[in-house]
Amino acid sequence: MAIASGSMSTVREDRIMKRVFLSPAVIILLALSIFPLLWSLGISFTDMQRGGSTIARQAASQGITEGVGFLGMGFELTGRNYQRLLVDGRLHSTVRNTMFYVFLGVAIQYVIGLGLATVLNQPFRGRNIVRVIFLMPMMMTPVAAAYTGRMFFDSNPLRSPLADFLRDFGKLLGLERGISVPWFTDTGWAPIAIIIIDAWQWIPFMTLILLAGMQAIPDDIYEAARVDGANILQIFWRVTVPILLPISLTVILIRGLEIFKIIDVVVVTTGGGPGSATESLTLYIFEQALSNGNYGYASAIAYVLLVLVIIFATIFLALGRRWIRGSVERGE
Amino acid sequence: MRTTGKGLFRRRSRRPLWGSALLYAIVVFWCFIVLFPFYWLVTTSVKRPIDVSRGPNYIPYVDFQPIPDHWEEMFGTQRESTERHFRNSLVSAIGSTILSVVIGAMAGYGLSRFRYYWGRLGWDNDNIAFWIISQRFLPPAIFIVPFVLLYNFFSLIDTYGGLIIAYTMFNIPFAVWIMRDFFNGLPVDLEESARVDGATRWGAFIRIVLPLSAPGLVAVAIFSFIFAWNEYLFALMLTNFNAITMPVLIAGQNNTRGIEWWFISALTLMAVVPVIIMGLLLERFITRGLTAGAVKG
Repeated sequence: MAIASGSMSTVREDRIMKRVFLSPAVIILLALSIFPLLWSLGISFTDMQRGGSTIARQAASQGITEGVGFLGMGFELTGRNYQRLLVDGRLHSTVRNTMFYVFLGVAIQYVIGLGLATVLNQPFRGRNIVRVIFLMPMMMTPVAAAYTGRMFFDSNPLRSPLADFLRDFGKLLGLERGISVPWFTDTGWAPIAIIIIDAWQWIPFMTLILLAGMQAIPDDIYEAARVDGANILQIFWRVTVPILLPISLTVILIRGLEIFKIIDVVVVTTGGGPGSATESLTLYIFEQALSNGNYGYASAIAYVLLVLVIIFATIFLALGRRWIRGSVERGE
Repeated sequence: MRTTGKGLFRRRSRRPLWGSALLYAIVVFWCFIVLFPFYWLVTTSVKRPIDVSRGPNYIPYVDFQPIPDHWEEMFGTQRESTERHFRNSLVSAIGSTILSVVIGAMAGYGLSRFRYYWGRLGWDNDNIAFWIISQRFLPPAIFIVPFVLLYNFFSLIDTYGGLIIAYTMFNIPFAVWIMRDFFNGLPVDLEESARVDGATRWGAFIRIVLPLSAPGLVAVAIFSFIFAWNEYLFALMLTNFNAITMPVLIAGQNNTRGIEWWFISALTLMAVVPVIIMGLLLERFITRGLTAGAVKG
């Protein structure tokens, strides 16, 4: 760098400025991300609850207020939270639900997003305005999208345009009473409704990024494929899809990690029901922590979620690297 | 970036007729899927309750008589509440946006122009940048308990400051990531010649680098704003009256007076419209920001 030839003061200035630039971000992340992360790991090994802990309450009932528990800090160190994880049936169903949301949700969003990106990559009149329209759902707060979804998935055809349509459509097919789907009252359909709402909102994100990826593909590649006599479908499968593989893995990973966090849509549409058929992990943690005040157990579950997220990301990145290498070796 | 977008067909004229028909069919269908829910929100917000429950009524003046009552209610009897929640959303979103942009731009610049080495961890710039972006993908559920305890300790519950701090923390990783990419694409010559002319690092950053980075800064600002504006979990957790934001207000409509779809629709539109207007005006920045790093990957 040319700066190296500058005066001594420039070098010293740089040594200071280098820290000035990076420190605020690092300090905030250490204080608000890393510290809470380690702290909640600690809490997950205690019996801490809102307003004290089990052992502190027992002691208080006997009139002892000081010197209770681990090092006299008023709580007990315990592995019970982690034992409880193994036998908590509700937790197991929330894990299942969350995985279902992640895998089915990402698959639907990717396939439709890729399709729409392909469409938007074609020249046609009004493309710019259409591209903006396609983005709109992404800007809605998920809570509002969820309420809108609730209006549509109401199974009463007097209230919901979707139920009205399905009834008429069913009659058209010759079914006497039309099609009626018990969206939010059936344990099988309720998770599907939630996946559809989330997909409606986030398909634009997939579309946007995949479209940008497609537009970065140089035209010569298409031209070469065309000269070789490939038809449209072949070009799509052999040229577009393989070139988009890295960016596809990125968006799938981002959306997958986001769906792991799902809570707002579930709260507004079903509140976790019927039973716990739609309850997500984040919602369960929230309830354990804030409704029940079980800080220790909530932290232990949160660590389960963190481990799931890390496993998902690691496997996915490892597979992704192999796929990309594979498609390079095949010469695609 | 090339935006010719010729895609599968070389020219529009070479596309077969069935291709065009299919294309427009898909476009129209998806526009309907996207726009009809918005249409439904707008019409529901001007329906009488009876028209909502005895319907479905599709077209105003034909199927039902639109009434302005719910909007009047929102800006009349409910005015104080509407304004307060709207203001809360605005203050916490703008506050955290400003902080994220400033801190993100600084760290992004540092990671782009200096060489760091964290000896004990053996981390260089790439490791540090990856560590920062990885914070964005931690599940927020893991922060629920420690944040409640911390915020109680520092009396930050139900304050603007509390929300701003939390949202800034969530927005910084993305801000750093986008800005670092942006600065990497910016030639260093201009800064260097300014420094030869006697400008300090900081002076060159403020007067030369930042003005050139306006598109990146705008992209970061949009994302930070939309995230904070739409966020639900932490707003629910960290507020209880004074600082409640629009998403929490909307979600809470569930249990106050039974579900008043017409009022919820009006509130929802209230919350969505500012973001959509901003999004439409700044759409090209969104694309550029989101794809800055992704396309190269």
